[in-house]
Amino acid sequence: MAQNISRRAFLKTGLTAAAGLAATGLALPQAVQASQGGELCTLLDLSKCIGCEACVEACREQWQAGLPDPAGPIPRSLPPRVPIEDWSRRKDVQDRLTPYNFLYLEHLEVPHQGRQVELHLPRRCMHCSNPPCSNLCPFGACQTESNGAVHIEQDVCLGGAKCKNVCPWHIPQRQSGVGLYLSLMPQYMGNGVMRKCHRCLPLLAQGQAPRCIEACPQQVQSIGPRREQEGKAEALARDMAHKDGASPEKWRDYVYGLMENGGTNTIYVAPLPFKEINAALLQDHQERAEKDRAAEQKAGRRPEAGNLGRPHLGPVKDSMADAKNLTLALAVAPLAGLAAGLGRFLGKTRKLAASAAPPASPAEAQKGGLS
Amino acid sequence: MSIHDLTPGGRPARWLYGLATGLLVFSGMAQLPMMKRYYLADLPGMAWSEDFFITSNLHYLAGALLLALMAWRLGLKARQAGGWWSWGPRGAWGWTLLAVLMVTGAGKVARNAGVYLPPDLFMALGLIHLGAAMAFIFTGLGSLIKGRKAEVQGRQTA
Repeated sequence: MAQNISRRAFLKTGLTAAAGLAATGLALPQAVQASQGGELCTLLDLSKCIGCEACVEACREQWQAGLPDPAGPIPRSLPPRVPIEDWSRRKDVQDRLTPYNFLYLEHLEVPHQGRQVELHLPRRCMHCSNPPCSNLCPFGACQTESNGAVHIEQDVCLGGAKCKNVCPWHIPQRQSGVGLYLSLMPQYMGNGVMRKCHRCLPLLAQGQAPRCIEACPQQVQSIGPRREQEGKAEALARDMAHKDGASPEKWRDYVYGLMENGGTNTIYVAPLPFKEINAALLQDHQERAEKDRAAEQKAGRRPEAGNLGRPHLGPVKDSMADAKNLTLALAVAPLAGLAAGLGRFLGKTRKLAASAAPPASPAEAQKGGLS
Repeated sequence: MSIHDLTPGGRPARWLYGLATGLLVFSGMAQLPMMKRYYLADLPGMAWSEDFFITSNLHYLAGALLLALMAWRLGLKARQAGGWWSWGPRGAWGWTLLAVLMVTGAGKVARNAGVYLPPDLFMALGLIHLGAAMAFIFTGLGSLIKGRKAEVQGRQTA
């Protein structure tokens, strides 16, 4: 029988874990606790990561067991446009994002200045400052907390995957056959639930560090108030650029997440430019995607479209920039309308209205209008 | 000359109101992930309708047009009491729905611009906006059908 993960259960699991962590003294630094109420940002120093995957294991241990599996046959959508995405029998997959794996590691060899640089990158949700997934979710299932954590309410999500579509990195992953849609019209609306990293929200609420940060033996990640972390990221990136032989002005090439999508609460700093890292990353993704698609076809499943749960590290413009600009249009439009109504245009229409006869019949009077 | 030509703004205002509400309904519906699922985006020339950012921008522009029209109407009303209008809601119910849509829409616009809203409030705004939009659509359709019937009956009895 499938488990239902409710907000209460989610928080309960988290609180139990938080109590355990508190007992071991693994809590957020005081400065971070004091900043509760503001956005918290994680900073990843990739020069420290050794690729041990302790963070991945910690995340899976903490959250995977509490995720519900489909109880029975998964309803097919009508018309059959939306594929069933069932990862419940592939929970062991941890080399990409899945609905049961919120964090994975990229292991790369990046050609740089005539040598191969070994690099390991933890990848998960970027927790954008102004996240399109949360803003554009039609049901409010994808939510942004005041501490900057972006999470998906499993009780509310219908699995339409709009969040994945509008995410510049296509982070959220769908598990079909679970969630609210089963109680509505499963064949015609929704297709499961979307899942992704929630940055250990229940632990954060208790002043505890996310598991990936706490489990890391190299202290690759740190968490703190966004402004502080931005300053640290810049200082670190300047240092990296200097060590790499680049001019100090080039420090932005060594940092990712600071400006992408209007700014995220996950900032990476690397010892080589992200342009080079992304080129190696995309090549690696292409090779792995071909293998994955071949395996999917062999297993009789419809091959997945898109980036196969492996986000890029390329430039990303602010997804919400148009919406911000159009807000001005919305603010100006009524003022312009009012001015026109009160202005000279009125003179002409008043004369016209004064000479107009009343409606000839109720039927004619009813013509037009929407409501 | 019909009443629509005599109404302030005449036919253009009526058509602009129809255009604004029509675009708002379409682009609003397109915010639900259904254009691709139900093959509407596969129709010739409709591929853009599955792009949530394009339809969101369209929703904003149509909203700006509707706000301008409503404010223009308000401006006229302030200077000229009474008068006949051939466009816009005709009853308190329609106006209430429109007001709810504008207020909840304003909340969503603020969130999109980066203003923080508590998750439960934002969810409530979204669901109320969706519910009011559905009510507005059905009320509008009902009104159009009713108006058309009355028009036909009026012609028959004339």
